[in-house]
Amino acid sequence: MSKKSVTAVVLCLALAATAALAASEHPGKESIEKSGYKGPETCEECHPGTAKAFLDTVHWKHASKVTNVDNINPKLEYGMKNRIYVMCNGNDIVNNLKEIPKSPVTGKSKFSGCNTCHPGNHLSDVGSTGPAAAAAVDCLVCHSTEYDFRQRKAFKNEKGEVVMGQDRSTKAALAIGKPTVKNCMVCHEAAGGGVIVKRGFSFTKDTDAHAAKGMVCVDCHKTKNHKMPTGHDPNNWANDGVFLSCADTSCHGVKPHKDADLNRHSAKIACQTCHIPRTGGAFAKDFTVWEQTPDKFYEPTTLKKEANETTPAYAWYNGTVKNTPHFIGPKGSRKDGKSKITPFKIFQGRAYYNKQTGELLSMDFAQPMSNGDTRAGVLSAAKTLGLKNPEKIAKEAVPGWQTIYFGSNHLVTKTKALYCANCHAPNGVLNFKDLGYSDKEIVKLTSPELYMEKVAKKQKEEW
Amino acid sequence: MKKAVSVMVLVAVAALSILCFGSMASAGEEIKMVGVITKIEIAGPDAKTATATLKDNKTEQPVVITVNDDLTLDKFKDHRIVEGDEIRCKYEVIDGKNVSKLFRKTAGC
Repeated sequence: MSKKSVTAVVLCLALAATAALAASEHPGKESIEKSGYKGPETCEECHPGTAKAFLDTVHWKHASKVTNVDNINPKLEYGMKNRIYVMCNGNDIVNNLKEIPKSPVTGKSKFSGCNTCHPGNHLSDVGSTGPAAAAAVDCLVCHSTEYDFRQRKAFKNEKGEVVMGQDRSTKAALAIGKPTVKNCMVCHEAAGGGVIVKRGFSFTKDTDAHAAKGMVCVDCHKTKNHKMPTGHDPNNWANDGVFLSCADTSCHGVKPHKDADLNRHSAKIACQTCHIPRTGGAFAKDFTVWEQTPDKFYEPTTLKKEANETTPAYAWYNGTVKNTPHFIGPKGSRKDGKSKITPFKIFQGRAYYNKQTGELLSMDFAQPMSNGDTRAGVLSAAKTLGLKNPEKIAKEAVPGWQTIYFGSNHLVTKTKALYCANCHAPNGVLNFKDLGYSDKEIVKLTSPELYMEKVAKKQKEEW
Repeated sequence: MKKAVSVMVLVAVAALSILCFGSMASAGEEIKMVGVITKIEIAGPDAKTATATLKDNKTEQPVVITVNDDLTLDKFKDHRIVEGDEIRCKYEVIDGKNVSKLFRKTAGC
């Protein structure tokens, strides 16, 4: 190769590298550098109408119409804005971000509330609309990798209103792009009262096959106009009307395995059953007894495990949900033609029930967080919701348990996936009796007869 | 006299053994604690290590933790974890340093 040719190749490579670098960088840097960052109006220069459209998403509304859950009104919207259940027991309405009463021990207060993670400024809060709401959207908390979280703190303005601060610095705005895992985990990591409490997973290369491949949350939860596709978790009701599945053609398709026998399983077995054999997080919580923490405030008593430290329960699931005061979980059966055997993270929580109606009551956390008085929290929530005789309700409220089946859709593994004998054996993880199989069928389903020849052959090949 | 010397030697050997085995056990042992951060020391945005001093909730003694994992370092850098936060921590004593194996805020929403 001549000197000239080598120079040309080097030049081409340099050009390609520069182009690739430029392509990965978000456009508009010069404009932001010149004019500074002014919030959504800066983003709107290139993305007109986006802030207004964002106000119609679950991330802003914390609620949506829900059509697959029993005992709710399909015309109303439900979500963490207003739901009453035992993972959180409060919600954005009754446990609105505020300065809680001073601790009787220390005389100190703090800001707390379910809507702390809402991407507004609290003056424009969950579900707000109009130009002020659009101007209050915190685009950078999801899109910047240089966000300074010292800015995202609640404070009181000159009118005494509680405001959630935002980092609207030029530095943060110059680091915008597709949300990283970190951006999502800012809120989703510590939901439910602490890290890995609510959903029991961490999205790291050590705990999830997708993360190990360098994928980020939005590679699967791929949005269109900020509408976020989700799976069908029985306890994740609010949705943007778009859903995702492992079997999507852009992901694994309906025949993901080379082995036809394994592909045949996918008609009745959810992918997660074999590929998410473990779960984690909180497995029990008590909202009727709060524990004092070293700062002398109180938190609900919570029992929890790390990611991958607990095992799921398995049930038939057809995408519809049984919802009663004491149970939220999957509906389905072996024979409905729609259900698949699916793994769930089991969580049980104790909270107060209305003695007269048997309904689960919600709680404002301000009072119990300050002094441990849980009934005061029930009273405050009952007043906020306009219940009749709130004092009587709070006084007579009866503690009780609710069991929740959470979807188990992360902690994906390829190497530690269940194999034949993990299910088809007398000590297998699936309880075929509970899943509706007859004794005769169970004898067949738990015998090595099913896989002996095939696995023996494979074993021979491998060794 | 001979007997007394023998007893003393035996006691000394026993004590030395306990000390040796004791320190061997603690070297690889994972220690759990919950405490409030009183100080974070990190050298700039490219730092690959940092130290955080926690005031142990049980003993009220300061414990200096060395943090090397990227996830926690990133939380120090963008101030998702700051002084005053309460931390649940697991660490191992390696070469005289308390090296973090788990470093998480206790709080959530």
